[in-house]
Amino acid sequence: MSVTAIVGFSAFSGGGGGEVVVPRDAPLAALPAPALVVNTPVPLRAERDLAHWAPVLRAVTARTAPAVDAPRVARLTTRTAEQTANLVLVLGRATDRRGHVWTRVRLPVLPNNTTGWVPRSALGGLAVVRTRLVVDLERLTANLFRRGKPVFSARIGVGTAQWPTPRGEFYIRSRLARYRSPFYGPIAFGTSARSEVLTDWPAGGYVGIHGTDRPDLLPGRVSHGCIRMRNEDILRLASLLPVGTPLSIR
Amino acid sequence: MTPELPSGLDLTLDQLDRDGALREAAARLPRTRFLAAAAGAAAAFGVLASPARAAVSRGDVAILNYALSLEYLQAAFYTETERVGAITGKAARATRVVGAVERAHVDAFRKLLGVQAVKQPSFDFRGTTEDQLAFLKTAVAFEDLAVAAYKGQAHLIEADAVLAAAVAIHSVEARHAAWMRHLFGIRPAAQAFDEAKPKAEILKTVRSTRFVAARTRTKGGGAPRFTG
Repeated sequence: MSVTAIVGFSAFSGGGGGEVVVPRDAPLAALPAPALVVNTPVPLRAERDLAHWAPVLRAVTARTAPAVDAPRVARLTTRTAEQTANLVLVLGRATDRRGHVWTRVRLPVLPNNTTGWVPRSALGGLAVVRTRLVVDLERLTANLFRRGKPVFSARIGVGTAQWPTPRGEFYIRSRLARYRSPFYGPIAFGTSARSEVLTDWPAGGYVGIHGTDRPDLLPGRVSHGCIRMRNEDILRLASLLPVGTPLSIR
Repeated sequence: MTPELPSGLDLTLDQLDRDGALREAAARLPRTRFLAAAAGAAAAFGVLASPARAAVSRGDVAILNYALSLEYLQAAFYTETERVGAITGKAARATRVVGAVERAHVDAFRKLLGVQAVKQPSFDFRGTTEDQLAFLKTAVAFEDLAVAAYKGQAHLIEADAVLAAAVAIHSVEARHAAWMRHLFGIRPAAQAFDEAKPKAEILKTVRSTRFVAARTRTKGGGAPRFTG
């Protein structure tokens, strides 16, 4: 589409130069329509169950406060026993007197529920989850919430009185599949929770969430501390549960 | 005073262009200019969900993906900053406004490119979204970079419709740059003449930040060692 010139003279006609005359009916090039349409910008909305996690990029000491001379809480490695990245749940941040950023994190160590401060530089990029898993040891249920709404529920097996499942605030640390162990079912999630009894268990006695080859025992208090569910339930959960999801065991 | 991006960082093009789409599109860039106006060409580029799709060449697709990559970087930076909530005052307000605009740019490019859009990489902003000074310094650098990048592609764009879109976004990035420079306490319009920067130089700068990170390996195939 073309438009017709609406000016019949040059705007620069004064001052000694020759006058440039544009005919009144000379066509001007039409403005092309942009190839894309940018919609009205949408602000971020407050989201329920929003949480951040980050991988540990280098072995680091977690401390009780955001300072290099604060007492030591625990040592973090970069890998789990299953050779996945070691993750921490991000809880807060602070800048020290020298301008270095520190991150408060939930730690996968005993005693359970331990938190500590690590230099931000020891962690990788922040990842976001919008899910929260709640395990009820009394009702023997696992409920997953996404943006505050329930999206999954299943009956479960938990630890016996001798090997109880620990209570507290934790997070999903890894996702394992393609292993050959019917005992754990088709998929297993690692958590940051640890058995307070089986401390000499290989790799430290971490509590997992996994399937089972004994669905007849569920629901019940049947495990060494792990959270078991039927294989069809763990497969359904696996499609909904991202690594890094906060886990509450009550 | 020109703020510098965080130094001592090393990023590879492999990380920026994880799925190879950017390089693949660039490799297909024709030596001669052409417009895919014919019906056959329209079918070839039918994935571009825009009225102007028939006029978008492969070369322009590569440029659009390059722009999308930079928009991903900016949108992720401001979005993370806002979600983390560590930045305060006027900078926090600017983050909310600019972040929403950058996300709108991303959406527009993705809609236009359809299945030819490069995927968003993983980012590690290395604490710059969590510290006021580091945030402003990085924001200034990002916006100045985007302005120079858009300008650097202008002479390579083949379709007028793509050029019109790029120019429209370019001036928005320039306003962002001025805003962030003002918040950082430096002259919003520092120079009388802004130079364009070629893609190689822009990518080199992005690589130097190491903000594009490898995806975290959270899945494994080893036998669980949990208590059971």
